[in-house]
Amino acid sequence: MNNNDVMIHVEDLKKSFSDVDVLTGITTDIKKGEVLVILGPSGCGKSTFLRCLNLLEEPTGGHIYLDGTEVTDPKNNINQIRQSMMMVFQHFNLFPHKTILENLTIAPIKLKGMPKAEADKKGMELLERVGLAEKADAYPSQLSGGQKQRVAICRALAMDPEVILFDEPTSALDPEMVGEVLDVMKELAKSGMTMICVTHEMGFAREVANRIIFLDNGKIAEDGTPEQVFDHPKNERLKAFLSKIL
Amino acid sequence: MKRNNKTYSCRLIPVFLILIMIAGMLTGCGSKKSEFGESPVHSPDDLAGKTIGVQLGTTGDLYASDEEGATVQGFNKGADAVQALKQGKVDCVVIDEQPAKAFTERNRDLSILDDAFAVEDYAICVAKGNDELTEKINAALKKLKKDGTLDQIIGNYIGDDTKGKQPYESPEDVDTSNGTLVMATNAEFEPYEYREDGKIVGIDAEMAQAVADQLGMKLEIEDMLFDSIITAVQSGKADIGVAGMTVTEDRLKNIDFTDSYATSKQVIIVRNGKSADAFDLKQSIHQNFIKESRWKYLVNGLATTMEITLLAVIIGIVLGFVIAILRFSCDKTGGLKLLNWILKAYLTVIRGTPAMIQLLIIYYVIFASTNVSKVLVAVVAFGLNSSAYIAEIVRSGLSSIDPGQFEAGRSLGFTYVQTMRYFILPQAFKNVLPALGNEFIVLLKETSISGYIGIMDLTRGGDFIRSRTYEAFFPLIAVAIIYLIIVMILSVLVGKLERSLKNDEQ
Repeated sequence: MNNNDVMIHVEDLKKSFSDVDVLTGITTDIKKGEVLVILGPSGCGKSTFLRCLNLLEEPTGGHIYLDGTEVTDPKNNINQIRQSMMMVFQHFNLFPHKTILENLTIAPIKLKGMPKAEADKKGMELLERVGLAEKADAYPSQLSGGQKQRVAICRALAMDPEVILFDEPTSALDPEMVGEVLDVMKELAKSGMTMICVTHEMGFAREVANRIIFLDNGKIAEDGTPEQVFDHPKNERLKAFLSKIL
Repeated sequence: MKRNNKTYSCRLIPVFLILIMIAGMLTGCGSKKSEFGESPVHSPDDLAGKTIGVQLGTTGDLYASDEEGATVQGFNKGADAVQALKQGKVDCVVIDEQPAKAFTERNRDLSILDDAFAVEDYAICVAKGNDELTEKINAALKKLKKDGTLDQIIGNYIGDDTKGKQPYESPEDVDTSNGTLVMATNAEFEPYEYREDGKIVGIDAEMAQAVADQLGMKLEIEDMLFDSIITAVQSGKADIGVAGMTVTEDRLKNIDFTDSYATSKQVIIVRNGKSADAFDLKQSIHQNFIKESRWKYLVNGLATTMEITLLAVIIGIVLGFVIAILRFSCDKTGGLKLLNWILKAYLTVIRGTPAMIQLLIIYYVIFASTNVSKVLVAVVAFGLNSSAYIAEIVRSGLSSIDPGQFEAGRSLGFTYVQTMRYFILPQAFKNVLPALGNEFIVLLKETSISGYIGIMDLTRGGDFIRSRTYEAFFPLIAVAIIYLIIVMILSVLVGKLERSLKNDEQ
């Protein structure tokens, strides 16, 4: 597990909500630069798994390590750990009372002590990269859904994270805006960012992912490359799932 | 530009409404005649079946209540009772002779019946068991009676030949080494105690000064509601109560009395059937606001009202936000159950009891034995009261923020406190601003009960003018308009703040 290539190591991760067992023991490694897509029927625990990784949900059992540091150890500073493991949400969750640029710069300024001028410069570079530089002084309510999600990705990138967790990033978007967000994610994948995505975009999964995990009943039911998972599925539930959505 | 014009004219509407209201009331006043006719009471034997107006807590109240078959209506002030008589709401008023004379002098339509209702002695009240002070005062009174000082003082206020000609002056070499003698009174009882040019004067005030000089003490006069005087003396807020007070059995249960220093009669005032004085606008304004610089009561009262309101709002906001954040966090995390329970109990008690009762409890119970400024007591009382309402307003604001905002903040690596500070509170504050502005306005008006602990706020300032001029209309309307103007200014300011915050994120 101390293999240098491993970015995240998950060991027997369990999560229950009162008497419902959502995750019943997940063990896996995510390598540096890997683009992992998590598939699964609704309610299988995809989002819960993702939210457990940065402790937005407190796991009920198991261990999670990020780059050798145990995330689940209460002695480790979770706020510090989260700074290198950003999350992009389904509903963007931009700060409506801050401008687009401020949304990008507040975390580096307040948490990393970055000078404002430097943070602004970096923020503008990121906005240019996603084609939203002219919106820097606008407020989130003036943006379309696709634009908001691109800003949210920039907000995560502004912290120079090791990993970005995407929690259904395109599910709340109008169909014509899905593409612009996926393009940004593709570009990000090419740049070597470690990404874990919960998504229903099969095209994206097949084209961009290095690896796909199919979750069923709180466990990993199938784990393999896009070719293996899409073209030669072994698990019956996965076959049924694919036949419904493809 | 067009939009601005519209909002401007909208703001003028309330001003027009006020003007219409005043005009309507003025015309109502102008046509005032003696519509109610002569009182059906012609002697103390006629009282059965009649309605008697009295000042609450006075001996007139006590005696009238013993009158079989009569209905007694209590008023906070003698002047209010007289006003009710003029308006036909009561058939007669039982009141002390001297103030009765003052009332009838100013109102042509009122007369005093020749037969007195009761004869009584006035005495100074002292806390039960404080025999040392009672004896000292008795000795002083004895001396003042003997050397004619007491007669001189009474003559300075009663009697056409001597009135205003022989004021009591403290001896040049007066000694005040024995501390302070705090006298509780209700300065709305001419000629025993009333305000002239802002100072409390009258027979009782001068007599108490003479007694204090005899005791070698410095006199300090505390003005409060008549009903509060005995409580103040009992609780040690004041050493003596001097307010034309008669010795009664009920009072003796709670308080001791010195020997009497004056004799008075309870008389009956009735409507004599003559028409009231014609209403003279100029004269009335002069009487209520210009004469003796009475407008100063309103100006000083407004300053006190604003002082109490602003300080109380600061306490309320600070405490309210702290309580709201604690309760919100407790509810969210399920931790600190005991603290959450205590805070809930606090909110229930504060919101479940009237502000006036809280004010009185804080003044008479919590700060009973300490000598703190009344304004401070009011600030604390209204601040605590307001904090409970603000806490719930802010908590609802916090709950209205999308939980995703919280997750976004935490997922970026901000701590709980930082997330609250940078993301949740600023948004919640904006959401609750209208409700907070409203709370501010409610609080401003709520402070009008400060008079109950003897603070000269705006409302009480108007009351004082009323007690001097025996006119209800102008003092009350003036006070109402001042409150209204302040509230309108506050509304505009809150609206401006709201708009400037909204501009941030359109």
